[in-house]
Amino acid sequence: MIPTTNRSASTALTPEAIAESIAADETVASEPVALYALGLGDDALVLAHRLGEWITHAPELEEDVALGNIGLDLLGHARSLLTYAGSAWGTSEDDLAYFRGESEFRNRQLFEQPNGDFAHTIARQLFASVYFDGLYRALRRSTDPTLAAIAAKATKEVDYHLDHSVQWLLRLGLGTEESHRRMQRGLDAMWPFVGELFRAETGLPEGGVAHVPLDVTDGGTLGGVVVDLEPLRSAFDEIVPRLITDAGLTVPTVPFARGGGREGRHTEALGPMLAEMQVLARAHPGVTW
Amino acid sequence: MTSASTLGETRGHGGVERGHIVHADAVLERQARPRPLNEAERAIWDLAATVVDPEVPVLTIEDLGVLRGVTFATASGSVTVEITPTYSGCPAVDAMRDDIVGVLHGNGYDDVSVKVVLAPAWTTDWLSDEGRTKLEEYGIAAPGPRRGGGTVSLGLGIRCPRCGSMHTRQLSRFGSTSCKALYVCQRCQEPFDHFKEH
Amino acid sequence: MVTPTARAAATETGGVRDADDDPQGDGRRRFEELLASESRVEPTDWMPAAYRKTLIRQISQHAHSEIIGMQPEGNWITRAPSLKRKAILMAKVQDEAGHGLYLYSAAQTLGIDREEMFDQLITGRAKYSSIFNYTTPTWADMGSIGWLVDGAAICNQVPLCRASYGPYGRAMVRICKEESFHQRQGFEILLALMNGTEEQRAMAQESVNRWYAPALMMFGPPDADSPNSQQSMAWNIKRFSNDELRQRFVDMLVPQAEILGVTLPDPAIRWNEERGHYDFGDLDWTEFSEVLAGRGPANAVRVSRRRTAHENGAWVREAARAYADKQATASAASRASAAPEKIAS
Repeated sequence: MIPTTNRSASTALTPEAIAESIAADETVASEPVALYALGLGDDALVLAHRLGEWITHAPELEEDVALGNIGLDLLGHARSLLTYAGSAWGTSEDDLAYFRGESEFRNRQLFEQPNGDFAHTIARQLFASVYFDGLYRALRRSTDPTLAAIAAKATKEVDYHLDHSVQWLLRLGLGTEESHRRMQRGLDAMWPFVGELFRAETGLPEGGVAHVPLDVTDGGTLGGVVVDLEPLRSAFDEIVPRLITDAGLTVPTVPFARGGGREGRHTEALGPMLAEMQVLARAHPGVTW
Repeated sequence: MTSASTLGETRGHGGVERGHIVHADAVLERQARPRPLNEAERAIWDLAATVVDPEVPVLTIEDLGVLRGVTFATASGSVTVEITPTYSGCPAVDAMRDDIVGVLHGNGYDDVSVKVVLAPAWTTDWLSDEGRTKLEEYGIAAPGPRRGGGTVSLGLGIRCPRCGSMHTRQLSRFGSTSCKALYVCQRCQEPFDHFKEH
Repeated sequence: MVTPTARAAATETGGVRDADDDPQGDGRRRFEELLASESRVEPTDWMPAAYRKTLIRQISQHAHSEIIGMQPEGNWITRAPSLKRKAILMAKVQDEAGHGLYLYSAAQTLGIDREEMFDQLITGRAKYSSIFNYTTPTWADMGSIGWLVDGAAICNQVPLCRASYGPYGRAMVRICKEESFHQRQGFEILLALMNGTEEQRAMAQESVNRWYAPALMMFGPPDADSPNSQQSMAWNIKRFSNDELRQRFVDMLVPQAEILGVTLPDPAIRWNEERGHYDFGDLDWTEFSEVLAGRGPANAVRVSRRRTAHENGAWVREAARAYADKQATASAASRASAAPEKIAS
């Protein structure tokens, strides 16, 4: 992105900055944009938390570091997105992360799936990274400057995340018989949640947001705020099966789950995760840490 | 545990020469360090520019290209400093923010706010030549240039900051902080961090 | 490369083999000169076997401490009470893993494999800092670890930046900078608690009460009872005695405790004008010995957690190895190309 003389267009934000801007009545998300940011923020937060669970349990030290590193990037994205979302309602990132119940979380169900073994985590990470990669690349062109800036920053990081999961997909798929079997099982276990990833955003007030067309390679402007997911689905369908077969594995045929994360419907995995994540904050509401 | 199991191991090849000091052109330099032209703001910029990265304290936030702008409202005397994070989740940002406020308060600017901006996204191309030299002297291999804004191709030799050999090997793609990867020099055996291209 | 001879020497106990390595005594003379001129000894220099052995022990213990030290804090990553604290904690634990990796690499320059060191750790044969055998029952412990434990570690490690062995001394320069940042973050956690509610302040004080004495014990037993210290000081590996460092730490803590508003749990602390230092009370070394002997609150958990992770991850590492081997075979024909090469070892 090229710096622009228009300050408000180039100024986008991390939590503290967004919080300050709100006081100055600068950057307040409209309700539909806030709901959209909330969904994306929850996707990133929930996955970041899951990756954090790996730390000190990883197969080798390098992976403790790598998974922590990826989790930290995602947590950064989550913080910016949640803070921006909260600007619509006068709530902070922490209000949103710690004081909403399970049915108020809008993350898609893939991200809340338990870590399982390392292959499960890599399968989840592969699907997640392909989703984030397409999403953020497109969102860089959003007409909403805050979303565009968050996405531009995230794109560079997700690039690494995708490479990490692809490298491990190859190693596990082509490594040993056991790793091959486990990787296939991981893919099969996570596949049902792929269907929901590219389902259109729900729960956004009608007429509130325009969608971003996928073509982000040319330099033109675009008219929308949120990313149109349908074209991302085709990209996923083209890339992922090839990666899976390159790793000597089989594209799963298990049916997709009903999904519903964006409407607050979750699998049994999310509740216990949130209970742990929120326990201390909820024991001391209203304090500063 | 063997090194074979780590990801992305690459071996540098002796003889692959690549200058480790990148001479950014004037446009890039201006983008990296938009020091204000106005005198009052420039004075504030120069104070803020003394704040260092808490984890790599040989680099100032100006060297890094993290310092993005200064505005001074003459009427009210209020100062706004803009910084940008290197990585989305970088915990050093909060410390830099506090240190900027600290140094400006110490110099008589009472009304200071620090804004964290995300756009344009930070890149290692903004690291100053001086910063690169300081980094190398500190024992961290400086980042090379990014290729056309895309992913940097791995496998180009990383020069050992101690003996200058290009015969180096990546041990871990992620180091102690997000911005670094761990290498070892095959010639002098020095383990060292490489500030990754970003 | 460490020569096979050097490797053999590394396993010797008391420098018996030195002469084989260095028949003319040139190596030893140069080594003595380097120490006398406060210069660095580098991996390719001759060094006495006992020096090598001492360094391997010290650097690997340091690495193990970083790795085991991830656990008491890792305990709170999933429960950190704000997203900012969660990010800081994740980054910090990641730093520790990174330091561990770095230090293992530094130890490898002395001719020991990481596999061997790691095996010593997970089979319970290696030592690591006993402080990590304490538990972290409250969030405030994240503050105390940063402020007290990292603070003590810095006091211990800053002099090591001048350690005679090059790769270790240089590593310590950078590690100390990152540790200082950790200490600052710990201080800020406690400060936020002390500026908070009654409950938060009580949480901070209770935690400081638990960590204060163990942190002081991190400098090791009193000088009179410290067997390895003298030789290490002669070799410029250790620069100050245990008691000197402990005093330095207390002198640093007292004013910081005043800013925080916490009370250090030692009624004997008072300024001694004559000495120019703070006096402090005797420590209960029986507890230290208990923890050292494996009867600390978390001794059993720490090593077994790392061992379990390692065992559960065996199939992953095997897969990576098998893949690397296959790649090496497949690319053997095109080895001359400039493409990155996968390394099988």
